[in-house]
Amino acid sequence: MSSSKIPPLTYKVVAECSVSKARAGLMTLRHSEVRTPVFMPVGTQGTLKGILPDQLIELDCQILLGNTYHLGLRPGIETLQKAGGLHNFMGWPRAILTDSGGFQMVSLLQLAEIDERGVNFRSPFDQSECMLTPEHSMQIQNAIGADIMMQLDDVVKTTTTGPRVEEAMERTIRWVDRCISAHARNDDQSLFPIVQGGLDIPLRERCVFALMERQVRGFAVGGLSGGESKHDFWRMVDVCTDHLPKEKPRYLMGVGFAADLVVCVALGIDMFDCVFPTRTARFGCALVDGGQLNLKQQKYKNDMTPIDVDCGCNTCKRYTRSYLHHIATNENVSCSLLSIHNVAFQLRLMNSMREAIQRDEFPQFVRDFMDRHFVGEPIPTWIREALAAVNIELPEDAVQPTEEQEKRTEKSR
Amino acid sequence: MKFVIKSISKNSGRLGQLRIKESQELATPLLMQTTKGGSIPYLTADAFEMVSNEQQLLQLTLSTMDQMAESLALWTRPLSDYVGLPGHNTVLMIRDPCETTPAGGNDRDVMPLFTRRGKESLTATQYMEMVAKFAPDVYQGLCDADTNPESTKKRVQKSVDRTERFMNECYALHGKEQRLANSTLLAPIVGGYNTFARTQSIKHAKEQPAGSYGGYILEGFHTNGLAATTLSAAQLLPIVEHCLQQLEDDKPRLMPGAFTPLLTLELIRRGVDVFDTSYAYCAAANYKALTFSYTKDAVQHAAFLDLTDDEIKEQFTPLLSGCTCLACSKHTRAYIHHLYKTHELLGPILLMIHNLHHYLGFFAAIRSSIAADQLPELIEHVRLQNTDAEIDYRIEANAKVISKAAMGKGFIAAAV
Repeated sequence: MSSSKIPPLTYKVVAECSVSKARAGLMTLRHSEVRTPVFMPVGTQGTLKGILPDQLIELDCQILLGNTYHLGLRPGIETLQKAGGLHNFMGWPRAILTDSGGFQMVSLLQLAEIDERGVNFRSPFDQSECMLTPEHSMQIQNAIGADIMMQLDDVVKTTTTGPRVEEAMERTIRWVDRCISAHARNDDQSLFPIVQGGLDIPLRERCVFALMERQVRGFAVGGLSGGESKHDFWRMVDVCTDHLPKEKPRYLMGVGFAADLVVCVALGIDMFDCVFPTRTARFGCALVDGGQLNLKQQKYKNDMTPIDVDCGCNTCKRYTRSYLHHIATNENVSCSLLSIHNVAFQLRLMNSMREAIQRDEFPQFVRDFMDRHFVGEPIPTWIREALAAVNIELPEDAVQPTEEQEKRTEKSR
Repeated sequence: MKFVIKSISKNSGRLGQLRIKESQELATPLLMQTTKGGSIPYLTADAFEMVSNEQQLLQLTLSTMDQMAESLALWTRPLSDYVGLPGHNTVLMIRDPCETTPAGGNDRDVMPLFTRRGKESLTATQYMEMVAKFAPDVYQGLCDADTNPESTKKRVQKSVDRTERFMNECYALHGKEQRLANSTLLAPIVGGYNTFARTQSIKHAKEQPAGSYGGYILEGFHTNGLAATTLSAAQLLPIVEHCLQQLEDDKPRLMPGAFTPLLTLELIRRGVDVFDTSYAYCAAANYKALTFSYTKDAVQHAAFLDLTDDEIKEQFTPLLSGCTCLACSKHTRAYIHHLYKTHELLGPILLMIHNLHHYLGFFAAIRSSIAADQLPELIEHVRLQNTDAEIDYRIEANAKVISKAAMGKGFIAAAV
């Protein structure tokens, strides 16, 4: 690793939307330059489901996400150290971000218990009791060697209310200090703290202010995208970006649906990740401007057009919906083909937002996108409200939303 | 389809050129690319281009593609375009050489077709209608190939008789189908391991008017899948030789199946021209990287590297030292072992890239050695790999792979 004086992360805002909080930036990491806003595909176990690193580079993917919990179990910290880190191990020359492992433990393991020391859990392989402390998370993430790493945070369900939310927020702040102390490679890797505070605006604000006192190079917004109401969701994002420093990147964890990405970029978020594009690919679904196509449906059987005629990915250049209909979920290669398209879709969406911000035409981009995305159905109220909060007004819907439709879009997360 | 023999040597095989339509010539002995559902197994079209940019003969199989027939009837461009591999030539066969074809289902006048959805039955007329929808460059005639080294004399005789009846209809319909006007028919030769039955099958083909078919496909020696890797040379070679002696030189001879590299060489020595990549696939699907040597040297080699072996957990070296494939130049044994442990789809993708690269190299080496009249030397090298005994090239089903990844759909179903 380089021992030069250049910090392992520099971030520069290159353009700002004159209307909303959207911004285009350039983040320079040890392994890659990253143009923001950016979507980071999730390569949980050191691979992005069925896609070769060379194919990701061809898609111009600049940064991947790896999961500390999975990588700590397999191949394990020792092997990763011997390999010289995850970049070498998986043959990926560009940037990587790792999570802390805490979220996986709480979401995947029913037996996880959290106390002041850390997250206590049973190993899924040998049932032994393990404790993931902030120090241990740093140790694994230092071995993985990702360009950006996350603090261990105290994760509560987004729907939790009461004193537990405040306790989790306060503990997250105490843990970030333990993470900062334990972080052994600050010259190579940048540690992001995570804003917690549930769906409570004052708690979120307190957390942001406390974290801003720490010496860090960027911030994550966590504890969202877990089934909470979208009306709460956007307000939490909005309050965080209101206070977070403009000169540092902001990462909204676990968000990746197209409409959410557009709204949250307008609210001033720079980085996103989500398993959705690659997971939905495995079930035969392809992302398009209007949502997603379930290619298993009979109507695609004889459809001799590509998934998206305007998409330049290798899947759209060569394969028809008809062929994909026949092989989806049957042949392994369909998983790769649809993942490639879906990642290409996400990256293209981010790229076009970035370009619109640079031309200072972002509000119009948002209006055009929502028009394409919600065809024949009303734009959800929360999206109107969120965009109005950053001065982007959407035209009236031709049809008024029925109560049922409103409920459905609410649930569609 | 045109086939030109460039050179024949009694003891070291024959070199030929296969020209299908107006495309460039394919040199024989030729390795066809086996496909599943029309795609090279595990590989997207662009991933396959990282293995080879040369023109290929795609081996498409009805048992993995029959559900596409209706869509293909509406397709007006070449079949290879539909499967995302434009510019390549296509051969349509019935059975997937990668998987064991179940026995039975040979009711009168129908041929069983074992697909993902179960058993379908096709009459010769239905078969020809289906082939017409695919409109492949080359296709095989309908045959009963449900025979193996253990088949009874009665079963073998039935396979020959049924094939004759099927083929009488195929020959008659071949000229009538508008969509097959530019397709070449391959005459199937069946008859198990019985010289009399084989001769009868050949005789039936040779009785047809000139131009009825453009080549031979030798079937009925095995029922596909891993069983082909266990065939005994002593049993197989005499009967193949018996067939080849009766076939005219100017027609190509195809022999589908996952024969071992050694058996493939012995078949080439005797004059078989076209093989497929099912052996490379079977190895990859069982987490084996091909490591045998086909270039004369003095070092000992093993047939495979087993990626499920815990001993390679921290071997940060390529699958095969000196190999220039994408998997070997950019990834390590340790990484692919990790992909096996985590049931990740990239594992078989990288193994398929390596195995196809290796096997294509093997076939190039075979052609060069025939040109130099040194095939026997190559066979000796592949047989011993500089060790004291014949190398075991058989592939056994890897129980660890099957139980853990549940194969096939398992890779897709494996959550997060």
